Amino acid sequence: MAYINDYAYYANSGTAPTNANWGSYQYVSLADIVNNFMLMYQGNHELINNIERYQILFHAKRGVQELNYDAMKEIKILQLDITQQLRFVLPQDYVNWVRISQFRNGGLHPLSENIQTNWSSAYLQDNSSNILFDQNGNVLRPQDSEVDLARILRGNKSIYLNQSSAYNGSEGYCCDGNWYFDYAIGARFGLNTETANSNPTFTIDKQSGVINFSNISGAASIVLEYVSDGMKNGVDTEVQVNKLFEEYIYAYIKYSILNGRLGVQEYVVNRARKDKSSLLRNAKIRLSNIHPGRLLMNLRGQNKIIK
Amino acid sequence: MPINEVRNTVLAIANKNNYGYISPQDFNLYCAQAQMDMFEDYFYQYNNQLLKENQRASGTGYADITKGLIEVIDSFSATQTLISPGINLFNLPSNYYLINKINYYPTVSTSGTTTAAGALTLTDATATFTSTVTAGQLVSSTSTTSTTAGQTAYVVSVDSNTQLTLSQSIFGTAQTIGNSYTIVANTGIVEVERVNQDKIFYLNSSPLTSPSAGYPAYVLGGATTTESGNTISVYPTTLTTPGTIMSQYVRYPNPPNWTYATLLAGEPLFDPTADDYQDFELPLSDEPTLIAKICQYVGIEIREADVYNFGTQELQQEQQTQG
Repeated sequence: MAYINDYAYYANSGTAPTNANWGSYQYVSLADIVNNFMLMYQGNHELINNIERYQILFHAKRGVQELNYDAMKEIKILQLDITQQLRFVLPQDYVNWVRISQFRNGGLHPLSENIQTNWSSAYLQDNSSNILFDQNGNVLRPQDSEVDLARILRGNKSIYLNQSSAYNGSEGYCCDGNWYFDYAIGARFGLNTETANSNPTFTIDKQSGVINFSNISGAASIVLEYVSDGMKNGVDTEVQVNKLFEEYIYAYIKYSILNGRLGVQEYVVNRARKDKSSLLRNAKIRLSNIHPGRLLMNLRGQNKIIK
Repeated sequence: MPINEVRNTVLAIANKNNYGYISPQDFNLYCAQAQMDMFEDYFYQYNNQLLKENQRASGTGYADITKGLIEVIDSFSATQTLISPGINLFNLPSNYYLINKINYYPTVSTSGTTTAAGALTLTDATATFTSTVTAGQLVSSTSTTSTTAGQTAYVVSVDSNTQLTLSQSIFGTAQTIGNSYTIVANTGIVEVERVNQDKIFYLNSSPLTSPSAGYPAYVLGGATTTESGNTISVYPTTLTTPGTIMSQYVRYPNPPNWTYATLLAGEPLFDPTADDYQDFELPLSDEPTLIAKICQYVGIEIREADVYNFGTQELQQEQQTQG
C-alpha cells in the first residue's frame, strides 16, 4: 500500500472505520504486486515480454492462494452455534480446517475428528430392499439417512470419560449434555480411541459443506479455525500478501510464466524454479520468527526437572 | 520540417532538363505518401533496434538510437476521452494509428452541462465546483455531437462555484453551450487491458481473472456490414460512465499540404498563411530520406530514370548506414 501519515494510519484520517489501516504496513496488495511485476519484470529487455496483464493477475492470485494454504499462517477463526441438525455450515471461504473447538464455560475445548463416518446419503427402498425411483427415473432419497438420524437423535454410543464417576470408561449416550447408560451386562470389547473422549467428535462432509457433530447439545457453540485461499470473496482490492513473501510472489509469477512458455531454455526455467523455492524457504524461516531472544527463553527451561 | 524547403529541393533535383515541373497537387500527394511510408517505418525500426539491444549490439548515450525513435513516435502521441454511444461501447478516435493504452478513471468528481461559453473556462450555473473539484483534475467534453467531443483539459483553478479555468479551450465557442462534461480525479487510474476476441469469453468466465473495476478489459470490434469497426467494448459491462474511459494513442501524421496563391501567369506562389497549410510532421533529420522518397515518385511521373535512381540510391545508402 502507499505510504500514509500517522493520522491516516491510526485514525484512517477521521473516516470510519478508523481501524482500517492498522497493521496494513505488513502487507503488499495484489494491485501493487501486479503493477510492480508489469513494471519491473516484464518488458523488451526482460526475460518475460509480450505478456497480458490478466496472465500476471492469474499467477499472482494462484501464488497468494498457495501461500494461504500453508506457508502464511493466516488462520481465520469463526464462531457459530451449530444447527438443529448438529451441523456447522462451513464458511464461504473455507478451504481446510486447522482446529475445531467447542466454546464452553468460557473456555475452548478442542474436539477430535472421528474418521468413522457419522453421515451418509441414502436411497428409499421398499420392503424387499428394491430401490425406489420417481417417474423420471431418478432415485428417491429420504431427507436423512439412518446414520444421520442416529447422530441427530443421539442414538450413537460413546465412551464416557470422567474419573470421578463410577461410569468412567463406560459406553453411554450423551443427550443435551447429559449421559445415559445401559445396564452393564457382559463384557465390552475394544475401545475406539477416536471417540473415547468426553468431548463431542466431528466428521467433515466436504461435498455437503458441513461439519457433522456427534454427541453434542443442540445449541453448542463451535469455534472453527481454518485456512482460506486469501481471495477475500473475489474483492481484489482486499487481496494482499505479507511483505516477507513479496519477493517470493514475483519469483512464483516469473517461474509460472517461463515454465509454460514456448522456447524458453530449460536452464532459465530451472533457475526460476530454484529462485522460487529458495525464496519460499527464506520467507518461511523469516515468518517463523526464530531469533535469539526467543530461543533463549525456551532454553532457560532446559534444566527444569520434570516431575 | 518546412514543406516549402522540401519542395524546392525536389524541384531542383527533378528540373535538370527544365521539364521536371511537379504540380502542387501531385507534390502534396507524393508528400503524404512518403511521409506515411516513413512514419510506419519508424515502428519497424524501433523493433529492429530493440532486437539489437537484446543482442547487446546497441550502445547508450549518444549511441542510443532507440531513444530517438521513441521520441519521434511519442511526438504523435495523443489522448482523448472516448465517447460512448451507449452501454459499455466506446468510440475510438478517428485518426488513430495505434491504440497504446486505454485508461479508466474510476473517481468522478462531478459532471454536468455547460451554460455559457468562454475561452479557457467552463461555466455551469448549477454546479458546485468549490466543494467537488480541485485544480489538476481532468475535464472531458462528453457530448456525442459536440465539435469538441472527446477533448480534454486540466482544471487550472476553481474560480467560483460555477466557473473553472481550464488549460484548453474546449468550451470556448457558442456551439459548445449545452455540452455535457465530466470531471474526474487523477487517483486510482487503472489501465483497461486489450483482450483478443477469442479470449474475452474465457476471461469473463474465469473466477480469478474476470474483468473488474480494478482490472478492466476491452475488445476491439464494432464492424457493420458497411463500415469497419472502430469501437471498443469495455468489461465489466458496468463501466459505462461517460468521461471515465480515456485513450492514449499514436495518431497518423497530418497530410502535408503545400498551399499556394495562383498568380496571373498560372504560376503558384507559396502561401504559408492558408488555413489548410500543413508542414511535414516528421523531424528535420528525416528530410534527406523524405526527399529521396519523393524523388522516386517524381522520377516515375516525369519518366526520368535519373531522378528515380537518385532516390533509390539515396535510400539504399541510408539503409546501409543505419543498418
